Amino acid sequence: MRHTYLWLMQLVTGVLIAILLGIHMVMQHLEDILRFFGVNLNDPASWQSMIERSREIIWASIYIALLAVVLYHALNGLRNIILELTPSARTERVVTRTIIAFGIIIFAWASYVPMALLYR
Amino acid sequence: MRQIRPRQNYLGVGGWVWAGNYKLERYLYILHRVTGLGILLFLLIHLIVTTFFRIQGQAVWESAMRVLNNPLFKTGEYLVAVAFVYHALNGLRLILQELGFMMGKPVPPIYPYSDSLRKKRRWTMAIMGIIIILCLVFFYDFIVGGW
Repeated sequence: MRHTYLWLMQLVTGVLIAILLGIHMVMQHLEDILRFFGVNLNDPASWQSMIERSREIIWASIYIALLAVVLYHALNGLRNIILELTPSARTERVVTRTIIAFGIIIFAWASYVPMALLYR
Repeated sequence: MRQIRPRQNYLGVGGWVWAGNYKLERYLYILHRVTGLGILLFLLIHLIVTTFFRIQGQAVWESAMRVLNNPLFKTGEYLVAVAFVYHALNGLRLILQELGFMMGKPVPPIYPYSDSLRKKRRWTMAIMGIIIILCLVFFYDFIVGGW
């Protein structure tokens, strides 16, 4: 049963990522097309533009939510690929624990940075 | 006495790149896996850049952006955009087909066989068309923005 829920979560996070990462990709890469439609982002990767976004709590929340769903989707997908090699039960446990630890460390660090720098 | 041997369709790890007797969907699955692993690799690099350089302040961030602003990294970014578009839309197709949409009715396996995915392959082709159009849109923006 547990694997069914893990897979269901994979589908749900997939849909969430398609929406959130879609916003992120359009903002970062389609700025010239957005300008044509009247949305002016003037170089979203510049320090000035990034600081403006990182001072708004709504953007920090969106990025941290995106980080959480992406990490789940990516690391669960990687685990599924590794488990297709039919490792032994012991190796499977090691893989699962390594991936969970890896995910927690990345999430802690990469969500700490925008929160710590929110008002700086 | 003649031995009846089952059809050898177990491809092992080789099935990650070569689809054997399988059809279009198997190659889409391989691409899905490759783009997924590519995006995972990019995600780790992206998180390192946007946290370690971000936390050291404006000067470090801007020098890092200058290093990344060359045709090689721009091409890499475009490939990530293409991988995202493919993985997102093919993933949408996989979700819909897993839930039973965009598929033909299952029929008894009587010769000539017909699988339910192949009957609705037009939907798959339509999604591939949308993917190509979106890739061209991203390509246009990368060209306009300068390499």
